[in-house]
Amino acid sequence: MAAPDELFCWEGDWGLPSVSTDCLVVLVRVRSASLRRKKSSKTSHALLLPMVSPGSLPALRTNQNETLSRPSDIIIHLRKQKFNADFDLSAKEGADSLAFISLLEEKLMPALIYTFWVEPKNFVEVTRRWYAEHMMFPLNFFLPGRMQSRQLEKLRLLRGDEHLEAGEELEKELYRDAAECMNLLSQRLGSHKFFFGDSPSSLDAYVFGHLAPILKCKLPNGKLQQHLKSLDNLSDFCSNILLLYFPRDEEERNLAGDFDNVPNKRRKQFLSALFALGAMLSYALLTGMVSIQHGHQEALEEPPDPEHIGAHEEEGDG
Amino acid sequence: MFVLSVGKIPFIHVGNQVVSELGPIVQFTKAKGHSLSDSLDDVQRAEMKAYMELVYNMLLTSELFVQWCDDATAGEISRPRYSSPYSWPLGNILAYQKQWEVRRKMNAIGWGGKTLEQVYEDVNQCCQALSQRLGTQPYFFNKQATELDALVFGHLFTILTTRLTSTELAERVKSYSNLLSFCRRIEQTYFEDKKLMKD
Repeated sequence: MAAPDELFCWEGDWGLPSVSTDCLVVLVRVRSASLRRKKSSKTSHALLLPMVSPGSLPALRTNQNETLSRPSDIIIHLRKQKFNADFDLSAKEGADSLAFISLLEEKLMPALIYTFWVEPKNFVEVTRRWYAEHMMFPLNFFLPGRMQSRQLEKLRLLRGDEHLEAGEELEKELYRDAAECMNLLSQRLGSHKFFFGDSPSSLDAYVFGHLAPILKCKLPNGKLQQHLKSLDNLSDFCSNILLLYFPRDEEERNLAGDFDNVPNKRRKQFLSALFALGAMLSYALLTGMVSIQHGHQEALEEPPDPEHIGAHEEEGDG
Repeated sequence: MFVLSVGKIPFIHVGNQVVSELGPIVQFTKAKGHSLSDSLDDVQRAEMKAYMELVYNMLLTSELFVQWCDDATAGEISRPRYSSPYSWPLGNILAYQKQWEVRRKMNAIGWGGKTLEQVYEDVNQCCQALSQRLGTQPYFFNKQATELDALVFGHLFTILTTRLTSTELAERVKSYSNLLSFCRRIEQTYFEDKKLMKD
């Protein structure tokens, strides 16, 4: 059997296995399908940040050493490996899935992008801080900013407005669309456990991926969260999925402890320290503060005051 | 009368007001007391909105992709057509600008790396979903036409009648017989006097 595929995701926080919507969607699909097959997942969830393409997670490194980084590509690949969550759906349910996923992407995702990346208070106090803390030096200085401009550009293109800026008008519009979308989802879900039948399908994964960050993350401007919490069946739906598929994440993270979700952390720390030391040493050598030759060392020790030389020699003799 | 619309089409002109784009037009007509989806219950309305988003998301995006991101189609048909109302070189510049804009949008939503085949497959999936939903009913929500019917008709009609470099897109739609008869039925019912569709 070939080596297993490796899935790279953003870390989790606030009780979630990952903070990114796309990562959550992929994780739920893998977990639910592998539980259905009653065998442990072939994909190892290494929650770390690959140096290759930081900022474009989730990423899947297949056993043929190919890297896929679009969620749709990853899901297609997993489907080929028989990780398909939609076996039991009828044709009509499959059609409904597609329709509701489109609804999510058009109405809810812009609001998500706005609330995490564009709204000034949320971005500065929560998002930027979180990503900066979970990235390596020196990426943490410029990468969150770059991710923000990419998200803002995406939002602008989605709305068809080149000069979109954060503001109350935009916020009202986006949140109104998002609230409508959540109401529609709530109506569709009703009192069922999942959207179709007794086991989750791809629609459940998508809905969870979009709603869970809103539900769990404490943001300064939390209007979306308030609305979501008022829809009981959706909040229960999210907690249900978390409990079913990610129950031991808390324990896992405590055990992970030293690993701290970065591979070769010790080696990287050692290399950084070595580099810093090397830089300081070469600076000192270049400016002449320190020298390795013996002759020079005596000259440096010699105090410039001639009076002391006499005292020094006497001490030396004595 | 020459209407220089800085906004978006379609638009309707009612008295002094101009309302553009499908969503707001629907809301506007609803406020004026004409609504097509009043008889639907909540779950059905949720489904209708979802299917409308599906059409926007997949059909509209695929149409844009085929028109502007496929070099052959863009060069032979879309750019000349877009630049025709203007004189040279303004027309050319605007056409290239439009193309560049559409390509940027495709990249932003993750369609940038798709091939034409994949897009045709997406259209196929979308039509399959619509066909499933329509089934053997006359309209999507049984006996009455709703906004969804209007939207689907508009898009499918466009795909079936627009001349492109290849007829594959139209062929995919035609392979769903209930969708084809749906389009014919709507055309006959609502556009009787003008023969818009040729066989």
